[in-house]
Amino acid sequence: MPEVQKKKRGAKASARARAKEGAGARALAPEVPADAGPKPEGGARGKYVYCIIQSGETLRFGPLGIGADPADVHTVNYKDIAAVVSDTPIEVHDPTRENVLAHERVNETVMRKYTVIPMSFGTVFKTRDDIVELLRSAYDAFHDVLVKMQDKLEFGLKVLWDRDVMIREIERADEDIRNLKNQIGAQKGSTYFARMQFGRLVDAALQSMSEKYVEDIFEALRDVAVASRANKPIGDKMIMNAAFLVSRDKELAFDHRVKQIGARHDKLTFKYTGPWPPYNFVNIRLKLERAKEGK
Amino acid sequence: MPVERASGGSSLIDVLDRVLDKGIVIDAWVRVSLVGIDLITVEARVVVASIDTYLKYSEAVAQTTTASSRPVDGRAHEALLAENAALKAQLAAGTRAKRRRTE
Repeated sequence: MPEVQKKKRGAKASARARAKEGAGARALAPEVPADAGPKPEGGARGKYVYCIIQSGETLRFGPLGIGADPADVHTVNYKDIAAVVSDTPIEVHDPTRENVLAHERVNETVMRKYTVIPMSFGTVFKTRDDIVELLRSAYDAFHDVLVKMQDKLEFGLKVLWDRDVMIREIERADEDIRNLKNQIGAQKGSTYFARMQFGRLVDAALQSMSEKYVEDIFEALRDVAVASRANKPIGDKMIMNAAFLVSRDKELAFDHRVKQIGARHDKLTFKYTGPWPPYNFVNIRLKLERAKEGK
Repeated sequence: MPVERASGGSSLIDVLDRVLDKGIVIDAWVRVSLVGIDLITVEARVVVASIDTYLKYSEAVAQTTTASSRPVDGRAHEALLAENAALKAQLAAGTRAKRRRTE
């Protein structure tokens, strides 16, 4: 790989600092106009890739693509798989609202008829041949994953609660905690240690309550989902941030089940989204390697 | 509470949460190469660094514990961090090389 590394000597030093932020596409985005500066062609056209699907024929999905003037979305085929692409200037796309939603809009459209392996945001190839090469090189991986994801959809389920409501609930339900609270209220002098103790008890009760909820919800969805992933909850109101992989033929059953769960838990708030391409269930990392001589 | 399903594209946060680093990912520095110089067909080829599909319905209990510590992802994250560091070193080397040439 050292050879490849030389190829990108155009990258500015600040790319390193930005790369620390982690998210590749976004981190490197601002570097590229500078990087692209020395390039001879100004308005060169590349191809933005949205996803990989199984299809032996060339398909068109209409003018849905990324960019101010939505480009025609079509496929680049290799054997029985295809990349869904649209023409775009060769530049790194910032993850703006419009761009990100365009990426998602294309994948959602394609997903209505095809099993999709989503590409992460912001991948642009220079030519059609490059994409064919991508499909050829990673054919086995793509094919394998396409088979595994055949007719499966992802759904998101976030569960939130109101801590204060839950604390009142705990005070009602737990005699020890209630007594302690009353003591603190009645006590003269310093209540510091009693309050510390109270806080600890409440935290522990909240923790076990949230675990119980999450466990119940996963369990209730088990027989209507193929797989599940628990992502880290965001913020202190969220107790569950999960993704579920569901067979198309179980979609209705899953939907009913989620609604039942919602009806059962009137103190929780549910954010239920989908269908998504199976972002949370596919992880394919690719890199470039020096081609063998004479290839 | 009544639960309504929202389509994927309706929440930018949910979209960002997925599209930035999930699915098929080509290393960020490769993207820079792609933008800069013709690479793939001419001098380099794509290799698959790793594939994971998460097809098991994990135990709910295990999930609750992983929700906070995420040991599996943590490992992948460390590997990524290490790789990131290596790539940054390469980037630095590349940049220095360029400076020397241009000076």
